Amino acid sequence: MIRAEGVEAMEFPELSDRYGVSGVPQTTINDGTGTVVGAVPEQNLLAEIMRAVAK
Amino acid sequence: MPEKLLNDLIIGQIREAFTNLKEPVVILFFGSRENCDYCDDTRQLLDEVVAIDEKLTLNMYDIDTDHEVAKLYHVDKTPGIVIAAKNGDQIIDLGIQYSGIPSGHEFSTLIQDILLVSGRDSGLNPQSREYLKNLQKLLHLQVFVTPT
Repeated sequence: MIRAEGVEAMEFPELSDRYGVSGVPQTTINDGTGTVVGAVPEQNLLAEIMRAVAK
Repeated sequence: MPEKLLNDLIIGQIREAFTNLKEPVVILFFGSRENCDYCDDTRQLLDEVVAIDEKLTLNMYDIDTDHEVAKLYHVDKTPGIVIAAKNGDQIIDLGIQYSGIPSGHEFSTLIQDILLVSGRDSGLNPQSREYLKNLQKLLHLQVFVTPT
């Protein structure tokens, strides 16, 4: 039910551009429904996941 | 034989980290003969990593000729790497993958991912686990990173 993919931003610039990646790490949830910029604590990531899934 | 990507010092460090390996891990590599600048280096890197410990194996695929396998593991980019659990002959996909060459900082991410899958434990806190196990739809996380 969960797919977690690390993406090398420079090798896939079209994808990085699509999600407006300007700094790393940046996490895109469900094709742009949610976004987390930077390395955040687990609970913050979970909160954004919950927000994105509920949309 | 091409020159090795990992020197003896790094191999020694990885070997030490790999003393914490528990269960077998299989790495699925997906390459492409076209438009893949980093496929050869990535394949060689993974080859050298799995050679360090017998709990690790490497399966190699071509995203075009093995497109059914690629589809099964949701791989749509090359080089594509899936780090999966291995139970006998069975491959258990945990949804952990990496697209691109895992070099620089991302090389240690690869090693950490292998250790995580080998330990069969996400390390997440109970609150996260409780929420995630009740997901009704696929959750796709893409973490954009750079090697530096």
